Amino acid sequence: MTVTESLAQHVVDSLVAELAPVLGDEHVLTSKTARWNRARVPAPFPVHRWSERVPDLVVLPASTEEVAHVVRVANKYSVAIVPRDGGTGLTDGAVPERRGIVVDVKRMNQIHEIDLENGTCTVGVGINMLKLNEVLGKHGFIYPDDPASYPCSLIGGRIGTSGWSLVGSRYGHSRDLVLSFDMVLPTGETITVGDGGGQKLTKSSSGYQLKHLFMGHQGTLGIATRATLKLFPKPEAEFSPFWAFADYETAYRAVGALPRAGVATFAGAVLFDEWKVDYLRRDDEAYIPQPSSVKALVCAVAYGNEDEVRAGGRRLMRIARDLGARYLGDEISEGDWAARHDRYATPLHGRTRNGQVAPMSWHCEDAAINYTRLPAVRVAWHGILDRLRRDYDVFDDWGMFAYTSGNTGLDYLTEIDVGIWEQELDDRAWAAWVDAKREIAAVSLAHGGSISACHGSCREGEVDLVPEELGGAYEVMLKIKRALDPNNVMNPGKYGLDRAYRTEDS
Amino acid sequence: MTDLVPLPDPTVHSEAGSSTEEFVAEWRNAAYNCFSSGHKFCREVCPVTQVTRNETWTPTAFHANVVAMEQGDLTIEDVAADYVNCTGCGACELRCPNTLYTGDFYRFRTRTVDLVKGVRALAVENGIHQPGWQRWNELTDQRTHEPVLGEQPVGQDQVRDWADGLNIPIGGENILFVDCEAAFYRTSVPRAVAQMLQLGGYEFGLMQEQWCCGGPAAEMGYVDQAKRFARHNLDNWHASGAKRILVLDPHDYISFTEDYPKYFGAEFDLEVVLVIEIFAEMIRDGRLTPHVPIEKAITYHDPCRLNKRKGIWKEPREILRAIPGLDFKDVDRVTQWSYCSGGGGGLPIEKPELTKRISDVRIGKAAELEVDTLVSACPWSERPLSASGDEQNIDVTDLHELLAESLGITVGGRRGDT
Amino acid sequence: MAYRYDEQSTPPAAEQVTDVAITRFEHVFEVDPRLMAEHVTQQTFPNWDTLRIVRSRTDHLAWMHAHWCTTVVSGEELLAELDAE
Ligand SMILES: Cc1cc2nc3c(=O)[nH]c(=O)nc-3n(C[C@H](O)[C@H](O)[C@H](O)COP(=O)(O)OP(=O)(O)OC[C@H]3O[C@@H](n4cnc5c(N)ncnc54)[C@H](O)[C@@H]3O)c2cc1C
Ligand code: SF4
Repeated sequence: MTVTESLAQHVVDSLVAELAPVLGDEHVLTSKTARWNRARVPAPFPVHRWSERVPDLVVLPASTEEVAHVVRVANKYSVAIVPRDGGTGLTDGAVPERRGIVVDVKRMNQIHEIDLENGTCTVGVGINMLKLNEVLGKHGFIYPDDPASYPCSLIGGRIGTSGWSLVGSRYGHSRDLVLSFDMVLPTGETITVGDGGGQKLTKSSSGYQLKHLFMGHQGTLGIATRATLKLFPKPEAEFSPFWAFADYETAYRAVGALPRAGVATFAGAVLFDEWKVDYLRRDDEAYIPQPSSVKALVCAVAYGNEDEVRAGGRRLMRIARDLGARYLGDEISEGDWAARHDRYATPLHGRTRNGQVAPMSWHCEDAAINYTRLPAVRVAWHGILDRLRRDYDVFDDWGMFAYTSGNTGLDYLTEIDVGIWEQELDDRAWAAWVDAKREIAAVSLAHGGSISACHGSCREGEVDLVPEELGGAYEVMLKIKRALDPNNVMNPGKYGLDRAYRTEDS
Repeated sequence: MTDLVPLPDPTVHSEAGSSTEEFVAEWRNAAYNCFSSGHKFCREVCPVTQVTRNETWTPTAFHANVVAMEQGDLTIEDVAADYVNCTGCGACELRCPNTLYTGDFYRFRTRTVDLVKGVRALAVENGIHQPGWQRWNELTDQRTHEPVLGEQPVGQDQVRDWADGLNIPIGGENILFVDCEAAFYRTSVPRAVAQMLQLGGYEFGLMQEQWCCGGPAAEMGYVDQAKRFARHNLDNWHASGAKRILVLDPHDYISFTEDYPKYFGAEFDLEVVLVIEIFAEMIRDGRLTPHVPIEKAITYHDPCRLNKRKGIWKEPREILRAIPGLDFKDVDRVTQWSYCSGGGGGLPIEKPELTKRISDVRIGKAAELEVDTLVSACPWSERPLSASGDEQNIDVTDLHELLAESLGITVGGRRGDT
Repeated sequence: MAYRYDEQSTPPAAEQVTDVAITRFEHVFEVDPRLMAEHVTQQTFPNWDTLRIVRSRTDHLAWMHAHWCTTVVSGEELLAELDAE
């Protein structure tokens, strides 16, 4: 990979001179710490190559107009711009691969309006869902976009990735929950994107349906600044049973049967495979004492009115019981579910081959796979990791989850978690890992799935397969990119979109 | 079973005059443990980040910088000024999943507060000073107390003025330690505490020669001074036969239960008791019975160093619930992990405008509850909160003052400027 | 809870619960410290800190439930109803 040179100091000075009068001096940052700390996201990357992706400057705009100004200046100087919100994205989306200006939108975190009668709210994209819900809760509402990064990811990043929510089987995912948003296009014009021309509509057939296009583009098609969100009544009740199974097969049957039961309050189900159970036995208080006969786990969750949750819950319990599941009890079930909103791979979970604790980063592979293909994908993926781990003692297989995406058990966010000891990750091991990622992605495609249900597929390795995954649609992507971003300033280097520009030159 | 290895003591290396490399070697795993997580569950509870939204000043960045220093990408000169932006409230390190879910399991938790102190100490050691902090610590050194009254004198001659007329003996087994802010600025707090102890029949005395606990110096990176002050106090306690130190200030409580044990190990053989816990017990067993109704609508501000850093949140609520007449609109302790006055960690000395923004937000939360009074239990929080409270028409009272009033005590003293 | 250095720096005796985990405090698991000998070493952990974390975790989880809904339906209750059918 070629490394982009930093901008010459006089260019940086000119940019600052154009930006600071509009944004304020204190919101145009050039210090090393400001830049280094916006060069990373949690996705593993060799630490010794950190400096390759450090931006030239950082801006902290406070309004759509300020964002538009930054974008116009970037076009004038042909400098890359990278939208950054929470910086929790797991596909390197907010990493400035071509340096340039990081547009950090976290200051835009106001609640502009809560429309209690229509059940919407309009917010700046720098706001976090948990923080928003602390306010909405007082009005009896909830905004149920619930990734495992619920307390730390932000609305702009949810739009930029078109995120996946743990309770999406009941409430939908980010794309269903974000009704409309203001979007600064790569050339600096601002449009409002949503269903039709209204801001608060869930369904319109007027014109092209652009909302999908402007979600999940990883900041390559512009910067969202203000969004209108769909609210739900804060649920009266929650039910979150966890069950133990003696084998994967039965657990797999259960995770299919639960959504198919047609329970209206059903919000999601998760399957934990044998590797995941072993993983939990290392350091999770709920699973350390479980007998060795426990090989796989399933949990389900339901939200809604108490009477409905109870009635539906009984059905879910019956399905699991009839499959021979053992209910793990209220304490574990309630505790573990509550932790799903924010509990994630702890670095110290990492173990070297001799069992010693080593601090490892978390790679989260997140394919979309149909129900019938889950068992085969699982075998292939663990095989890839097993080979990798044998060759390099810096990787660890942390097991797999399969989460329902919709409410019918059609497709599952299929996750394999990999521990990567970045402190010890040299170029050889990194190259082997990039190959492995490519192989992992190839397995998903071979099984008719998608590389990503959740994070996006921009990471080194897997990104090579995106043209294959999308086929002719990828060509359309290139045309759109070029039409909207003639100077290739919006987050260049992502999704191989540079090809859009190369075609004409050659 | 292997022996436990001591955690990095942010204060040790500076005495040895060690370099950035040693600092980095000591902190590398702790820093990396955050760097490799990078998930930023800490962001929205951090008081500084909440108001600045600046990722450069987040717990995540504070850890990542150390990794960059190890890589040779950043130096102490590059990073020092950023580390001013921390109140030491401890929210980030508690909220961090690496503490909250697995800190106890691995006996390895996120320690942002220690890290920030460590970087500040490294800066001072390298001759990088923040002007406000440098001056503050010079004056503290001269006066043996923090210059909390600006140019007005604070020192041995005045340190017991707050106790005028209360007939408190000097020395004895139980020593009431009064922090600088309370001893000189908000004297109503120690007066309330002392009179309640007397009313409850608890024998105690004052120190022969009390110096500042040294905690603020340690927080701002002036470690040698902090240790000198701590040594003085410990020797003074030993010389006078003290067995137990009664503490009314959460910041002192941290100094005595965290810094002093690190400095002195087993030599630190005194018991440290927070007076709030004594008062809660006295109410429970009937030694104190609040009876004068106080007709106020209040909410309680969990001092960060009690709630987040020590897990002490029940007793203050127990006390408030025992006071007749109060309309107590409580906000739970977990929600309050993201609340802060902005008064800690030396922030108001270097960046008063940032402290003010944090205080304004905290008072704003109280205002939403439609209360007339915010009750705190930390003298250091009360000055910035009162300033914001004045603007938003919310009175800021100390828990001890309020309890004393309900016990029929005429407290006296002064509540700071007001 | 008065603080005393000697009390706080003496954890309860360890009991092995699995190959990789021990307990010292009731219902609180810890990693077998032998696994933290090579790459990462454990920190000094006064007893109050372990207990503070354990209690804060419980409080945080309860908070999360309350944040999402008003009541939590008990699976044990539903199962008892089913079994009684
Ligand atoms: C512990 C953990 C658990 C996670 N669990 C989930 C999960 O369950 N479901 C899930 O979907 N994701 C999950 N993620 C990934 C991540 O949280 C999501 O991708 C999230 O949507 C990113 O939001 P962010 O605010 O952090 O965005 P960032 O990381 O800042 O940005 C993400 C992408 O969006 C672009 N972007 C940011 N702001 C804007 C904007 N205003 N306009 C246009 N583009 C923009 C960026 O350029 C980047 O490409 C998890 C991450 C972590 C660390
Ligand atoms: S301090 Fe904790 S929560 Fe914050 S980024 Fe680091 S590991 Fe994550």
